[in-house]
Amino acid sequence: MGNKKIKHTSNGNRSRNGNSRPKAPILAKAARNGAPKAGAIGSAQGKNGAPKAESANGSGLRTYSIPDYRLEHPDYSVRQLVEKDKDGTQHVRYEVSGDLDAPVPPIRESKYLDKRQAIEIYRYMLLNRKMEIALENLYKQGKVVGGVYFGLGQEACSCASAYALDKDDWFAPMIRNQGSLLVRGFGASDTMMQYMAKADSPTKGRDGTSHFGDIEKRNMVSPISMLGDLIPVMAGVALGARLQGRNLAVMTYIGDGGQSTGVTYEGINFAAVQNLGLVLVVESNLWAYSTPSEMQYRCKDLAERAIGYGIPSVIVDGTDACQVYDASHEAVERAHRGEGPTMIEAKMMRMKGHAIHDAAAYVPKPMFEFWKRRDPIARLENYLVRDKKWLSAKENEKLIAEVDRIIEQEREIAVNSPMPTPESAEGGVFCEDGCHEIKPKYAMPKVKKGSAAYKETEAAAHFK
Amino acid sequence: MQLTYLEAIRQGIWEEMENDPTVFCLGEDIGIYGGAFKVTDGFIDRFGAERVIDTPIAESAIVGAAFGASLTGMRPVAEFQFMDFIGCAFNQISNMVAKTHYLWGAPAPLVLRGPSGGYVHGGPFHSQNPEMWFVHNPGLKVICPATPYDAKGLIKAAIRDSNPCVFFEHKYLYRRIKEEVPSDDYIVPIGKARIAREGRDLSVITYAAMVHTALEAADLLAKEGIDLEILDLRTVSPLDREAIAQTVKKTNKVIILHEHSRTGGLAGEIAAIINEEAFDDLDGPIVRIAGLDSAIPFSPPQELHYLPKLEDVIREARKLKAY
Ligand SMILES: Cc1ncc(C[n+]2csc(CCOP(=O)(O)OP(=O)(O)O)c2C)c(N)n1
Ligand SMILES: [Mg+2]
Repeated sequence: MGNKKIKHTSNGNRSRNGNSRPKAPILAKAARNGAPKAGAIGSAQGKNGAPKAESANGSGLRTYSIPDYRLEHPDYSVRQLVEKDKDGTQHVRYEVSGDLDAPVPPIRESKYLDKRQAIEIYRYMLLNRKMEIALENLYKQGKVVGGVYFGLGQEACSCASAYALDKDDWFAPMIRNQGSLLVRGFGASDTMMQYMAKADSPTKGRDGTSHFGDIEKRNMVSPISMLGDLIPVMAGVALGARLQGRNLAVMTYIGDGGQSTGVTYEGINFAAVQNLGLVLVVESNLWAYSTPSEMQYRCKDLAERAIGYGIPSVIVDGTDACQVYDASHEAVERAHRGEGPTMIEAKMMRMKGHAIHDAAAYVPKPMFEFWKRRDPIARLENYLVRDKKWLSAKENEKLIAEVDRIIEQEREIAVNSPMPTPESAEGGVFCEDGCHEIKPKYAMPKVKKGSAAYKETEAAAHFK
Repeated sequence: MQLTYLEAIRQGIWEEMENDPTVFCLGEDIGIYGGAFKVTDGFIDRFGAERVIDTPIAESAIVGAAFGASLTGMRPVAEFQFMDFIGCAFNQISNMVAKTHYLWGAPAPLVLRGPSGGYVHGGPFHSQNPEMWFVHNPGLKVICPATPYDAKGLIKAAIRDSNPCVFFEHKYLYRRIKEEVPSDDYIVPIGKARIAREGRDLSVITYAAMVHTALEAADLLAKEGIDLEILDLRTVSPLDREAIAQTVKKTNKVIILHEHSRTGGLAGEIAAIINEEAFDDLDGPIVRIAGLDSAIPFSPPQELHYLPKLEDVIREARKLKAY
């Protein structure tokens, strides 16, 4: 179409220029805590998770900074463009402008990962991607009920974050975190059977995608479709565990679109006030279905939101597994020390449409090209094989072949599972007698009772 | 011991907290202040701030956190300052909490409780009876007690239940009714109605504050030789179908009485159950007495016009008796 007349709509003036950001305050801490301390995000607050009312540091000056682990600061923005074609008909589309030719930075050296761990994360990322390729094929063969969602370009974010959790920690994935499920020990066949609505799927056909959970072994809360609602729930898991004497990390994810919901605010604020070990990974992948992040929020980085909650945050390159791991590890450690929630903003790009039906024609092509050069798996492979020489070309080939074999096996299992019977739609609405024993998962809470005895209340109340 | 409706609920929660370390309370202003209606008055001194948690004003976070804690085997009791505000947490309750056992097999033993109901001039946002929002959500138990005895026995049953329970406390009843409540440990089973008054001529099926209106009407009508049977549902979901069918089979005439708006109200559901279970036993039309199809207005004359009244029950009962 001919670009006759160009006019910008009011949105999209937010600068993405990363250069104005203070350089390398990697270990600085957020918000109200005193002087920066080396070693990790944030700093100690109350002991053992008890919320502690603290005034800002003595000077009365507010000096907020947000650690940024990235080695580059992409500088471009998306805006709506109104243009008229030859016939004078108006069209609206998105246009990107800025520096889209920047060279790909190296992987940032991890402070914590050793060779074995780095290779393991790489392996999970491969499994993640190859599982999704298998799902795409199953869809094309007509075996999937509904759509398929992809985490293409986000494998480092899903896998390296979940990898930082301890066995007893909890997590809840969102739709693109199919890699996190693999890291936490679910089989690829579990997710595949969910997509195919099979009888042996974790929900026995009752729900699809990553919508399943396991409160016994793998400590996973099932997501629901409504974005943001997992955040207070995970805070509650941490609260329940704390009452049982455990400071656990509870990790979940939210998108640049999903974070606009009110429940996101409620959940983070609740975790902040109660000083609960929430690790919230913000998947800043530039798009929410067809809406660019410029139309979701006005601040420069979502990590800035943390300042308003009074919690630390950190920005990472979501295509660099080492950065994602380091930030997640530090956040998990903070949670284990009872120091409260952490927000991690992972900057990356959703490399496919919203789901398989969506060709993402609304995304300006140069954005795909920019981020394609930052493919998280290619970057980590390059790091392991060429930079660190932790994997020989041969070992890498072997590892890839093994992943292919596993995915094929898992696909077989999934395909061979029967469809559920119609009658299996019934039952299970309530937890009936004997179906579950309700008992504290970690320990019976230690009760400290005051001496106050029961006394009838005589106090005046609202609305007599 | 003579206890008010409010005291009975308070004592029920207190006893459960004494006996079970996994029970804890959360909500707005429930700690040092003891809650807007003082249901948790004195709790924080006895059980400590860890188990009596003052939360931010964030209903979705309160429900979400209660649900999350329940997944670790705790038994949270979350207070809504007014049940009107439960709408703010609707998605958590409907899509997260109610569906969890059916979808992925996780039990959610939590209680969502608070004051509801009219007759106190609370206005459109402090007088509602939003129980039907939850009756239409499979997976929730919805409880609406009418007496101190039932209120105590049902709150204890709700706390011990393995499922999410939404517990409506009628604020008109809080300090207006008193009765003898045993001091030993007892529960009232969820899902079981009770005959509040035996009668021959016609049945009034109702619950919560309306039970008392029906009882008053029954006393007056008895003088005219009209003998009302009153079925107090106690739990509105799941409904006690058997008790509903039984009373209809006995009296053959039914009035269904509730405070909330008529359209899409509980009476419609009960009428359908009667149609399914006892159609041949009916000797007259099923009569509904309910709130108007509007918001509940503030000014006392308007509020009373909106709500069912004693005269409504008397008038409809006379008509139905004569049918
Ligand atoms: C509360 C709510 N509203 C609408 C939707 C429909 N919806 C599903 S995903 C999506 C876009 C989400 O974007 P984002 O949070 O950025 O996640 P991404 O898809 O980029 O990973 C929308 C609008 C939803 N799931 N929940
Ligand atoms: Mg997004």
